[in-house]
Amino acid sequence: MAGEDEIEGGNRDEEQVHFHSANLSSDWPFNGPNDLTNTSMSMITSSNPMNNTSCSSAPMIDSFCHTAPTVWDHHPTNSQNLGAFCDMNLQNNAATSSSSLGFRKGNLVPARNLDMCWAPANSAIKRGGMFLPPAASNILPHSLSQFPADSGFIERAARLSSFSAGNFEDMINPFGSVPESSLSPYSSRAMQGQPQDGFVGNGFKSASAQGSKDMPLVVDCGGANDGSQSKNERQSESFVRSVHEAKQGGSGFSGNNVASEAEFSEGGGGQDDNSNEGLDSKKRRRGDQDTDYNQVKRSPQTPSEATKNNTEVQQKGDNNPNSVANKSSGKHGKQVSQSSDIQKEEYIHVRARRGQATNSHSLAERVRREKISERMKFLQDLVPGCSKVTGKAVMLDEIINYVQSLQRQVEFLSMKLATVNPRMDFNIEGLLAKDMLESRGGSSGTLGFGPDMAMPYTPNSSQMAIMQGGLSGLGSSSDAVRRTINSHLMAVGGYKDPTSQTGT
Amino acid sequence: MHNSSQLRKEFIKKWIHGLQICCSSKKHMNLMERKKKIKLSADIALASAKNATTSWSKALIADVKIDEENMILINNLSGPESKFVGAHDQRVTCHKRIRSKKILKKSCGVGKRIKRMGSRRSDLATCIAERLVKKRTKVLKRLVPGGESMDEVTIIKEALDYILSLRVQVDVMKNVVNATGVLD
Repeated sequence: MAGEDEIEGGNRDEEQVHFHSANLSSDWPFNGPNDLTNTSMSMITSSNPMNNTSCSSAPMIDSFCHTAPTVWDHHPTNSQNLGAFCDMNLQNNAATSSSSLGFRKGNLVPARNLDMCWAPANSAIKRGGMFLPPAASNILPHSLSQFPADSGFIERAARLSSFSAGNFEDMINPFGSVPESSLSPYSSRAMQGQPQDGFVGNGFKSASAQGSKDMPLVVDCGGANDGSQSKNERQSESFVRSVHEAKQGGSGFSGNNVASEAEFSEGGGGQDDNSNEGLDSKKRRRGDQDTDYNQVKRSPQTPSEATKNNTEVQQKGDNNPNSVANKSSGKHGKQVSQSSDIQKEEYIHVRARRGQATNSHSLAERVRREKISERMKFLQDLVPGCSKVTGKAVMLDEIINYVQSLQRQVEFLSMKLATVNPRMDFNIEGLLAKDMLESRGGSSGTLGFGPDMAMPYTPNSSQMAIMQGGLSGLGSSSDAVRRTINSHLMAVGGYKDPTSQTGT
Repeated sequence: MHNSSQLRKEFIKKWIHGLQICCSSKKHMNLMERKKKIKLSADIALASAKNATTSWSKALIADVKIDEENMILINNLSGPESKFVGAHDQRVTCHKRIRSKKILKKSCGVGKRIKRMGSRRSDLATCIAERLVKKRTKVLKRLVPGGESMDEVTIIKEALDYILSLRVQVDVMKNVVNATGVLD
């Protein structure tokens, strides 16, 4: 994240820093400002060819965009937004899987969302999860609006921008013609530095239509710096993967309507759940990587900057929708002091939110809320059509609807099964066994199904068919099923025992 | 996900057991009874497939245990029976404790809220949002088995797990129905 700051120049740096940090934060989805969305949408689309999840990241980006202007009142350059968008895009993609933050540990849907950040993009591509842990633990309930430029950011941005000057042009060029395969050169270039982040932002603007470009740019950003060479490589790998994902995703950002967050989410949401989930996992891991990466990156930088960046990230990540209304840019001062306090802290520590009391009670409350938002993000991935997170209440609503619909489905299906010919009841086990076999990935189960069609009419033969078709292909794992079915069949009576014939 | 496929297998196995027991125990008189039995066996199978790792599964089994008729089913299905033993009683007492705590909190919190409301006008939106979230959390708690005795943080985690398991259940049942449907 710091790298991005450098790229964009002083003003932008701040934004970028924020955005990077925002990527880490899993609370993006909850930030809801829509203003950003519109502004950032354009940028995001261009910068987010990466994956389908970009759609989901749109909300994040939007929130970024939204907050970006507020945050950087005194840095009104668009480029800032660009930088922010890059991150946001990255984040947004990861955002969808942000919910996975909380569950990363639980091996649940990976946090795609977090990775969207460019830096994390590299890592995100690889494994979104990396980002999460630090972000997750540190997710501050700050809303994006809390990023208003504080003096600390400005200083940091200024420092970062000093790095970016030289590499900026270089960074821009690749946009035009960067093929995916050129990721590696970018990563090496990334080493030059930090301005890459800024490029990503800028590049996105110019390369709006070229999703693939974004990928390489992202790589550059991710690759920047020091020490994280290995990370960069990993990130570039993941980046390539994400590129592929993005391509698979279809339109990616370029195809999506930048202006409409909904479109993004739809695009993202419309994609295959599996692919989304896979992306989520990648993003999440990337997120983790990114966090690490960012940390590593920051080491050469001023530690204060790094901490500030982290703080920002954490703050950004912590988008508690409820707090959005509360937080205002007017709390810069407090944040600055808080960020300085945090410099020594690890990411895991919970920071006092802006404008909030720092007593233990509120801190505990905040931790609680952060946990909740992490899980909400995870739920987002689970519940279909929730890629555009707008707030806790809406998310909860969706979850409730989904649970209710699933429960109703169970009722309906059990009713349907009950209506099945009573004779079929005995066959249900066979069907279940077959299903089990199928779930094990065997076409063997399906083979057995053919004759099963006639089950009600020729139960014996169908039983045999099930046995032969379904079980034969499987190893010992099917023995249990077979035995169960056999025993059941025997209990039912009236059936020949095909298992004995088939030689269980 | 390997997790879900494993859960799926477990669920199928247990459901097979449960259905066998149901079929052998008594003649299903009518459609509703059959449907209830099927659903019950499916739910118990699902909950026991989780192996008492989640509290919603424990709560579900505990709820089912209330009805003595289901004991046979439960005994046969859930291997680690001991895990579920006493779960219901524990839940009841836990629930009562939580409820009394909530009543206390509400009585104390109202005054605080009024004070806070007066001081921070800008939090109106937040208050509204909070209220919405609270309402929905309550509904969610009712939906997820054993949700009333959970706090906000765990309810979401449980809901997630519950959703995953429900999905597995629905998936398996759909496959079975399709199989039978094709035959019909």
